[in-house]
Order: sequence, then C-alpha cells, then structure tokens
Amino acid sequence: MAASVCRVGSTVGRALAKARSPILLSLRRGQATVTYAQSLLGAPETRLTALDNGLRIASEETGHSTCTVGLWIGCGSRYETEKNNGAGFFLEHMAFKGTKKHTQMALEQQVESMGAHLSAYTSREHTAYYMKTLAKDLPKAVELLSEVVQSNALSEADIEQQRSVVLRELEEVEGSLQDVCLDLLHATAFQGTPLGHSVLGPSQNARTLSRQDLVDFIRSHYKAPRMVLAAAGGVTHEELVGLAKQHFSGVSFEYEDDAVPVLSPCRFSGSEIRMRDDDMPLAHIAIAVEGASAASPDIVPLMVANSIIGSYDITFGGGKHLSSRLARLASEESLCHSFQAFHSSYSDTGLLGIYFVTDKHHIDDMMHWSQNAWMNLCTTVTESDVARAKNALKASLVGQLDGTTPICDDIGRHVLNYGRRIPLAEWDGRIDAVTPRMVRDVCSKYIYDKCPAVSAVGPVEQLPDYNRMRSAMYWLRF
Amino acid sequence: MLSLAARSGALSPYLQATNVAVNGSLKALLPGAVKGDSLLKSSSKTAPAISACVSAPGGIRMAHTDIKVPDFSDYRRPELLDPKKSSQESSESRKTFSYLVTGATAVVGVYTAKTVATQFISSMSASADVLAMSKIEVKLGEIPEGKNMTFKWRGKPLFIRHRTEKEIATEEAVDMAMLRDPQHDKDRVANPKWIIVIGVCTHLGCVPIANAGDYGGYYCPCHGSHYDASGRIRKGPAPLNLEVPYYEFPDDDTVVVG
Repeated sequence: MAASVCRVGSTVGRALAKARSPILLSLRRGQATVTYAQSLLGAPETRLTALDNGLRIASEETGHSTCTVGLWIGCGSRYETEKNNGAGFFLEHMAFKGTKKHTQMALEQQVESMGAHLSAYTSREHTAYYMKTLAKDLPKAVELLSEVVQSNALSEADIEQQRSVVLRELEEVEGSLQDVCLDLLHATAFQGTPLGHSVLGPSQNARTLSRQDLVDFIRSHYKAPRMVLAAAGGVTHEELVGLAKQHFSGVSFEYEDDAVPVLSPCRFSGSEIRMRDDDMPLAHIAIAVEGASAASPDIVPLMVANSIIGSYDITFGGGKHLSSRLARLASEESLCHSFQAFHSSYSDTGLLGIYFVTDKHHIDDMMHWSQNAWMNLCTTVTESDVARAKNALKASLVGQLDGTTPICDDIGRHVLNYGRRIPLAEWDGRIDAVTPRMVRDVCSKYIYDKCPAVSAVGPVEQLPDYNRMRSAMYWLRF
Repeated sequence: MLSLAARSGALSPYLQATNVAVNGSLKALLPGAVKGDSLLKSSSKTAPAISACVSAPGGIRMAHTDIKVPDFSDYRRPELLDPKKSSQESSESRKTFSYLVTGATAVVGVYTAKTVATQFISSMSASADVLAMSKIEVKLGEIPEGKNMTFKWRGKPLFIRHRTEKEIATEEAVDMAMLRDPQHDKDRVANPKWIIVIGVCTHLGCVPIANAGDYGGYYCPCHGSHYDASGRIRKGPAPLNLEVPYYEFPDDDTVVVG
C-alpha cells in the first residue's frame, strides 16, 4: 500500500518537474495573492448616515450575495431598575410572537419563505434584532424588522405563555456554569449598581412583568438617537437609507417629560462571591479588576495584554510548547481544564479578568499562577511576548469578521460605542503602536495593587481567602 | 473582603447532569450577551416541570439571578457609599490610609516585641540586690580633716581621706616630671577636699598604710612603695598610681562610690 503511494507520488513529482509549470513550482504557491497590509487598506468602507430623527444607518458593501441587516439599540439591562430587571430579555422573547400587521404564523411564514434567519440578543448595554437573508430580500427584511421593533403586538396571551418559557430558560441557564459564574461576577463587582443586574432578570420579575412594563420599557428606551440600522453584505448604502426613511422615520426621538435616561457611573467593589457545591465535578472561577471603558485609549494595550495571557483548553495539543506561559503551566502541571483572559468593556467602565475551570485540587495553584501572570504583565513583560501577542490579536480581529453577520454586529456595536466604525486598518495601527513599556504601564494602572472581584461556583473549598488573593495583586520584591 | 456563600443543595442534580463534559470550544466572552431564540430554531419549550419548581418549599433557589448581593453600606468607607460614583478616584487615598495604618501598627508592634523580649532576657542579668552591693554610700561628715577612713567595697579596701588645705596645695604644686605615673591632682579628684582611692598597691596588691611614708600619704609595707596624699606613686617599686574609682556626690555630705 505504502509502496504504491510512493510510486504514484514520485511519478507525479517527475511529471511536474518535467512540465516546469511556474505556478505549480513557484514558492508563492499556496499563499494569498494580496498582502495583509493591502487587504486592510482594500477593505470596503463603512458608510454612515443619519436620519432626521437621529437614527443612524451604517453599512458595508462586501459584495456577497447574502446580507445581514439589523437594528442595534443602545439599551440593555443596565438601563433597567430592580423592578423591571429582565424586561429587555422578556421583550426579546416577545419580539417574534407577532406584530400588529402579522400574526406569529404570518411572520414566521414570511421569514421562512425568504429562507431567512431572524435573531436577537440582549446584553447589558446593547440589544439587537437582526436578520440574515439574501441580498435581494433586503427591503422585505427591513420592513419586517421595523415591524418587530416598532409595532410588536405584545398580546396578553403571548405574554403569559412566554412567562413560563422565560422561567424555563432561567432554569436551563443554571446548567451553563460559565454564564452563572460571570453573571455572579458582575453582580458582586458592580453590586448596588445597574451593571450588577443580570440580563435575564430575577425569576420574580419574570412572573410579574406586565404588558404595561414592557410598553413603558419600549417607550423609554427605543428611541431613534439610540438606534443603529446596520447592514453588511451585498447591500448598497443608498438603498438602505431609502428603506430606513420609509420604515423608521416614525421612530420617536423625544422622551416623555424630557426624562432622558442618563447613565450614571457604576461603582466597582472589590469583593467575592462563592457558590460552593462539592457535588459538582468542576469549579468555575473568575477573577477580575475594574477595566477600561470601550472608548478608552487603554483598550488596545489591554487587548494585547490579554493576548499575552491568552486562552487554553485541555484539548489543545501544544503541551509545553504553547506560547502563553500560563497555558504552558496549565498543560504541564494539569492546572486547569480551560482558562481565558477576558475584557468586558462598557461605556464607562469594564471588567478585566481571567476565567478558569478546574477541578477541586488545583484551584489554589491555578489562582496563584493566574495572578502571577498578571504580575508578570505589570512588571516584566518582554518584547517577544508583546510581538507575539500583537500578531495573535491582529489575527483574531481579522478572523472574527468572517461573514456578513459578524461584520454587521461589529458595525452595530461600534456605532453605538464609538459613533463610527473603527476600520481594521485603524485597529492595526493602534496595535502596532503598543510597546512593552506601554503594556507594563497600562496593566499596572488597572491591575497592580487593586482590589479584585472574584466569583466562584462549584467545589471551591480550596479557593484562597480573599485577603490572600488581594495580597497576590502586588509583589514585595518590587 | 465582602463574601457571600450560598449552597445550591437541591439544584445540584440539574447542575451535575449538564456540565460533566469538558467545554471543547471556548465560547467567546461577549459582555453578558444572551442569544435569543431565532425563528428557525424555535424551541419546543413547554412548562411541565416549572410549576413543581416554583411551588417548591422555601430555601430552594429558582435561578442564580435570584441571588441578592446584600447591601454592605454599613461597612463601607464613606467615599464608597454612593453607587453612582466611580471607586477609582478614592482608591489612591484609601490604599494610602490602609497602608499607613498597617505600617504604623507594624512599627509599634516591632517595638513592643522588642521591649517584651528585652524584658525577658534582661531578667537574666544581675538582680537589684547584687547591683546594690556594687555601690557604697558614705557619710562624709563622719570623717574629720586629715583622717583617712577605710571601707570594704567590692571586696577591696576603699580609702576616703579628708585632706587639709596644706595637703591640697602641696599636691597641686607637684611637678609632673618627677612622677613615675604623671597625673595632676585635679585629674584624680572631683572635690579636692576628698581623695577617694582603692587601697590596693599597684605593685603586688598589698594594702598600704595610711598616714605613713615620706610624702604624707600612704606607705606599702610589703616592698616599700611610697604614695602621696593624692595616691600617686613617688618612691618604690609600684608602677602606677592608686586607682581612683567612679564616684559622685549626690549632696555635700554624701558620696556614692561605684
């Protein structure tokens, strides 16, 4: 078997050599025809216009035959109070249950017949309703989206029915311990502030939210200046603007009693929350410090810093040759099942942290080495670390934009956060400007000798006392 | 600093069943994004088990979102009481305060420890009665002029002599060049009226006799050393002057030697 493969291989090789085809034998065979720098500059521009009522329209024409179009709204659980926490999430559930023009059946039929996907998500500061469809179905898609957002039926019967669905979903999310851990992290880090609210809301609210609450929520937050109609794919900006004028001109831009909801800063509290259950097989632990806001200039050095720590999963095959030092340790000492460095940034604050999953005998070691990695970032990060991280970060930024939906999401979130889309070339420039000194300074500013917030779920007996973890946020040797 | 511990007791079967497998692919940690259901994958979510859970006895939590982080305002520092104010501005001053207090306590603690330790260790040194034996207090009023009194002090004879004016003048006028161990009288007495020396001959340790010898002072009978009224060696084999111990006059009438 092997002998015949060898024979075939050598014959092919000889034939190729004889043919002397330049393409086949050239060194550039298998490489892209466009360099990285060229591709950055050649990326299509994101065009941005605004309607009279303040609604912004942004689109990137990529030439695909499909497109993703959606409405990104600057509202989320952060705008909710204790009483209506979970309204946004409930509303998202109600979104596809029929509008004033179409019943649920009719709506589903419309979407299915186009072969489209209609989705939504809610986060702490953003809500999005978007549709993935063929480029030629853009008008229909925008019309349906405008109906879903502006003239939701919100029938009482559906609300009652969705209550149990929401409760069921609350129950289900308990199984996703990553979400539980990170929700608890927010709850303790931003305790007493709206950022501490979970997107899902407490079960009590799921049982008691009424139609009026949802209507009030829409009326206070679904305002044109806080909305972005974003699209990516085979769409022309002019067509999109025309459709927006047609369907979204009626979106209100005035608040009742001029009560404009202004976001007040959210206090970060160094604290911990432990949900110990020794029957669980693995412990999920997150430790975080207050990070940078989305528009802060420190965002890029912090992203590079997180790339230095990187992520790890027990299924990675790199072993002791993984580039992140923490990953090497995790692999060699079997410290954890997975970890990742994360940075959740909001409009005026953020959470910079490390989340890891490990068994109950390695929590102490893993926490020690994670904080050690942080200290390393603040004190002794080297040129090669930063160079490697910059490359990894650039690659991941580019790699994430692999389709009309991620691009559309990017556009929507950027316009809400920054007022414009930040192109890849700009990210690239800002990443290149990062030096080891900058990483050290920025990390020291956010991490060194700061009180962390810790949340732990599972068999967490071995997690050190908070004072020990706090002491590991500085080095006496320094 | 602020801990909250909760047990999930009865919900553990739910939690166990769903997370035994290792997460193969890491989910990107978007800031708390929760994916809603899309129309295509509308779930067959019915509500069979919900009512059982909801009406379960108190103490079983429905969801982690029901966990309320308690209000720790009673324990917060004043600059952190307002949840609408960022905690970054006050962090510098808070840390400084804490570290100063810790530092000061540490310094005080070190000194306390040192004091306690020295107290224990110095208890092993000479006790008060032993120390008392090292001093002698003498009433000077009992010594008439021209007279030499001998006391036993630290096992040795102590000579205290009340000198006359003539003796003082003589001793002060002595030429240094003539002395084997040159010392001016002023350097040997605190108060010229009183000469206080240890009565041990510097030759081989005999006790000199007072008011004897050729120089109006002491004479050692063992080998013939003559000392003057200042206790200095003048003639004879002794090499040094009589030793002057440490003494002080607490008042005019008493001297404490030692």
